[in-house]
This record gives sequence, structure tokens and C-alpha cells, in this order.
Amino acid sequence: MSGSATQGNGSALGRIVSGILGPLVFPVIAILLSFIIGAVIVLATGNNPIAAYVALTEGAVGDPLALGRTLLYTTPLIFTGLAVAVPFRAGLFNIGGEGQVYMGAITAAWLGVLLGSLGPVEIPLVLAGSLLAGFLWGAIPGVLKAYFGAHEVITTIMLNYVGIYLAYYLANNPLRQKGPIPGTESIDYAARIPTIGGALGRANYGFFIAILAAIVVYLLLWRTRRGFELRAVGLSPGAANYAGMRLGVNTVLALAIGGSLAGLGGGVEILGVYGNMDVPWVVNLGFNGIGVALLGRNHPFGVVLGALLFGGLSSGAQEMQFVTNVPLELADVLLAVILLLVTATKLVELIVGKRARALAGARLEEGLGS
Amino acid sequence: MEDLLGSAGSILESTVRNATPLIFAALGGLFSERSGVINIGLEGLMLISAFSGVVGAHFTGSAIIGLFAALGAGLIFALIHALMCITFEADQIISGTAINLLAVGGTGFLMVTIFGSGGTSPRVNGFGSVTIPLLSDIPVVGKALFDQSLLVYLMYLLVPVVYFVVFRTTFGLRLRATGEVPEAVDTAGVNVQAMRYYGVALSGLLAAFGGVYLSMGLLTAFTENMTGGRGFIALAALIFGRWNPIGAAGAALLFGFAQAITFRVSEQAIPIEFIQMFPFVLTIIVLAGFGGRAIAPAAIGKPYRKE
Repeated sequence: MSGSATQGNGSALGRIVSGILGPLVFPVIAILLSFIIGAVIVLATGNNPIAAYVALTEGAVGDPLALGRTLLYTTPLIFTGLAVAVPFRAGLFNIGGEGQVYMGAITAAWLGVLLGSLGPVEIPLVLAGSLLAGFLWGAIPGVLKAYFGAHEVITTIMLNYVGIYLAYYLANNPLRQKGPIPGTESIDYAARIPTIGGALGRANYGFFIAILAAIVVYLLLWRTRRGFELRAVGLSPGAANYAGMRLGVNTVLALAIGGSLAGLGGGVEILGVYGNMDVPWVVNLGFNGIGVALLGRNHPFGVVLGALLFGGLSSGAQEMQFVTNVPLELADVLLAVILLLVTATKLVELIVGKRARALAGARLEEGLGS
Repeated sequence: MEDLLGSAGSILESTVRNATPLIFAALGGLFSERSGVINIGLEGLMLISAFSGVVGAHFTGSAIIGLFAALGAGLIFALIHALMCITFEADQIISGTAINLLAVGGTGFLMVTIFGSGGTSPRVNGFGSVTIPLLSDIPVVGKALFDQSLLVYLMYLLVPVVYFVVFRTTFGLRLRATGEVPEAVDTAGVNVQAMRYYGVALSGLLAAFGGVYLSMGLLTAFTENMTGGRGFIALAALIFGRWNPIGAAGAALLFGFAQAITFRVSEQAIPIEFIQMFPFVLTIIVLAGFGGRAIAPAAIGKPYRKE
């Protein structure tokens, strides 16, 4: 439908913009508009938006400590972003990252204590457990979709809460530590993911595990037969089925792989940051992973960039609140507005013109066969 | 026996209290989804309204003005969802998720801006219990059903009213048709996009009543994230009730009952976490087709473009 009746309607500016930025048109417009709206909000509360944004930037990348904090916040978002991106490539929408993170996290909190004091050797074992827990948890909506016809959007939303409460049950009962504070026992420091050190503060090697995960996802999707099948199923389920690819298996695998990435992220958070799971354990990573994936156009390397932006905003917001009077929740508002705008097809057309939008890539839903 | 009846009465009373916000939000979601727009932003709409109601009541001292502030906020944010999904053809799931995140971030931001700190707001005038004479004297159920907040009585009225509007009026017929076969509605000369705007706007207003009931009915203050997943439980009730007002209200009462007995059974019998996951597990089961499949309106989730 891309504008046969509207030849020449796309503005010259729009064409230039999209020519340079290509697939980045949607993310860039969403980010710019979000910052403009954020500036208006800051102005309305009687503060200086430029000062706020300067402080925000300095708080994100201004010094090694800030950078370390940004990496710390970016790490889990890479995992939850990938957890959305992989199923998305197969035409499936994983809203269940939150529950999958909790399943990975509680598994890590359990195995980390169970394996006792094996030292650093324990780390890969624990993370393998988190990955497996996420895989199985992610497979549930896959099976329900493939063999029972239940839409994965609703089942993954519902499974978020089931996962969270299941993790809380385990942390409160069989895995509960001695003493009055609800939560699991602390994992031995020798078995935790070490910090990078230097001046980077609390940033830990989990960041590199996340980068490795992004590379593995890239290789899986674009360099293996299975990855080709997953993408083919996403682009055209009918054609893929005709070519002999089994839709059911690919549906289950796509969601299970997504789940395993979020689960791994939960494990990395426990071993790298928390050391145990307290109840309540509030991280809110799954939903922000959706924004990260969409900003990164569901490409693993885009996800890393999207996670860096989200992580940087969350990190910089602390400095912003400290230096100016703007509450740090502004970052959450900016992220929500980005997510709100990043798929707004017609809004982008309004700004850059139809043809430019067409150049920028297909509508989001065209990748989502249901 | 006296004791048993007394505890049945108090379980019923707390069932109604737990179910009320769910029923408001589920009825809201019903209008939106019947028109073809998924609204997983109910949670956020409730949260924003719960907050706006308290702000309105705080500055005017009037619960009624608070209610109108909440309705206004619910309507505005629902219209943002409508603008994104219907006019700008954004993805409905993503827009709804964004509304939820915006509600958490926005109320957190405004708590600090308006009240100076996060956590809990100052107390305000709310909608306390109003005893209905005669009816409240009925043994056991009287006090449970008719010694409640005004908003609960409004909920009693709304369930049949929504049923009537959706299934017995022209507006309802058009709304349902818009969610099933928008092409036919368009051909009949009805504006599909307008119908969807009405549906989403109504979802904002109804979710706002649910939010106000939380912050000004059950409590008399706003607490950050006080909705605690109730918007999603309402969504579950809507699906479990098969997009029917009576069904959704019944499902919400069932979920409310499960919550009500949580504090009465001993910890060892059923852990609280399992009761908390009950609505979600039940909804997954019906979605998977056990016990008669729940089928959503056919055109849900898809933007409509005139040919």
C-alpha cells in the first residue's frame, strides 16, 4: 500500500533522513519525540531541561563510575531484549520476559547455595541451570500456542505472574534463609560473577556474558539452518510450512530460546548483583526488554544498542536527581514514551512522508504472523 | 452455626471488596476489546486514575472532585492508547505495555513533584461505607452486600447496564460488529475508527472507577504501584468470562473469593502464592481450550484501513 496514489508526497527532507538512517527512522523519531516531551515535562515542573539532560548524560557516561553503573543496568536489558527479539523473528510476541527472569533467578539462587563452595567453577553450572529453567518456562506458551491454539501474548502475560509467585513461594518456603528476612540464603562470594574492577564500580563480567549471548543469537539466527527456519516461519508461516518446516516445533523452540535468554539474564543478575533473591524482588526487566528489542529492530546488535540507551538513561537519572531537582523517575517516563511511539507507523509517515517510511522498512505487524 | 454464618458473611463482604476494582476494569476492557482494540494497559489506567483521584481530593478536599480528576486522567490516557493504536496504527500490545510503564514512571515522578517524596501520599477524603437501610438488615448477606462504598453500588448497577448496552442496543451491536467484521460495519456506513475510539474511551473511564475504588474506597491514600497486577487480573477475568459482562463479573467474583479466603485458610493448607497465581493459571487453562475455549473478537489487534 506504500503510497502509489501519493507519488511525490514524501518530503525531500524525509527521503534524505531515511536514506541516511534507513531502518533507524522509527527508533530515532521515537527517541527524539520522547526527549522533547520529557523536556516539556521538566519545564512544566519548573526546572531547566538542558541542565537536566546534561546531568543525565554525565550520569550515564561522564566518568568511569557512571559508565560502570550504565553497564550494570544495561546487562539484564540485553538479555530481556534478546528474549523478545528471537521469538519476534519467528513471528511470536514474548511478553513473558518478566516471569522468565524470575524463573532463571530463583534457579540461580537455589543452585548457587546448593552447590555450596565450589568457587568460580560453580558459575557456569548455575547459569546453565538458569538457562534451562528459562527454556522450560518459555516452552510452556510455545506448546500452548502450537498444540492448543492459545495466543502467546495472553499466555505469556499470565505466566509472568505465575512465574513471579512461584519464585516467591520457593524463596519463602523450601529455599528460605534462617532469620526474620524473607528470601533465599546468600551465595558464597567466591561463586559470584566478579566485578570488572578498575574505576568501574559495581559493573561485573555479566556484561560480557550478555554480549556473548547477543553474538550467539546472531550466529544462531543467520548462520544456522534452525535460525533460517525460525526466520522463515516468522516471515511467511504458510510458505515455511509448504517447504516442510514444522511450525509447531519452531514455535515452541522460538519461545523456549527467548525464555532461556531471559532466564540466563535472571541468573546473571543473581550471581552478579544480588547474591540471593529477597521477597519481594522487584526488577521490572521483562517489560523494558520489549522497548529494547523494538528500538533495536529485533536484531541482536540493535538490542545491545537499545539496552545501552535504556541502561544509560536509568543510570544517568540518578545523577540528574542528585544535581538538579528533577526526580529520577523521568527516565522511566522517557523509556515508556519511546516504547509508546516506536511502532507508530502513521506518526512516522506524518513526519517523514510515506515513501520515506516505506524505505525505512515494513510495518511491524508484517513480521508477526498469527 | 452463628459463627459459621458470621464468617460466611465476612468472606462475602471481602469477596465483593476484592472483586469491585476487577469488575470495573474488566468491564472497561470489554468495551475496548469488543471494539477490536486490545487493552493490556488496564493496569496503568487504574494506577494513573488512583493517583489522580487522590491528587484531586487532596487539593480540593472533595472526594467527588477527586473522582472527576480520576475519570479525566483515565480518559486522557485511554485516548493516548486509542490515538496510538487506531490513528497511528501502532502495535496495540506495545502501546498498552507503554501505558503501563508510563503509569508507573509518571505516578512515581509526580509523587515526588507534588507530595515531595515517593511511597504513600497524604490521606484524603474517600468514598467510605454507606449503609443501605432495610437491605443491610437481611441476615448474613445484607451487611456484606449493602454496607459498602458508594462505588460498590455503582458496580452493582453497571454490570447489568453494560450487558444491556453491549447486547441490546444499536451502539452495542455496532461495537461488537466493529470487533468482529469491521469491513461490514464500514460498508454499512458506520465509522469504524470512531466506534473504536468510543470503546477505548469507555475502557479508560471504567478503569478509572476501579482505580479510584482502590485509592479512595478501600484505602484513602495513594501508594506507589498500588494496583499490584489487578489490571492484569481484570484482563484474566475478561477472558475467563469470555468477553461477556456477566461472565467477567462472575470471574472477578471468583478471583475475589480466592483472595478473600487466603487469610482464612492456614498457611500450611494452601500457600498464599498459589492463591495469588490462581486467576492466571485458570485463564491459561481456558485459553488452551480445556472446558470450552475462550475465543477473542475476530478482528482484535488489527488496525483497520479503509480500502
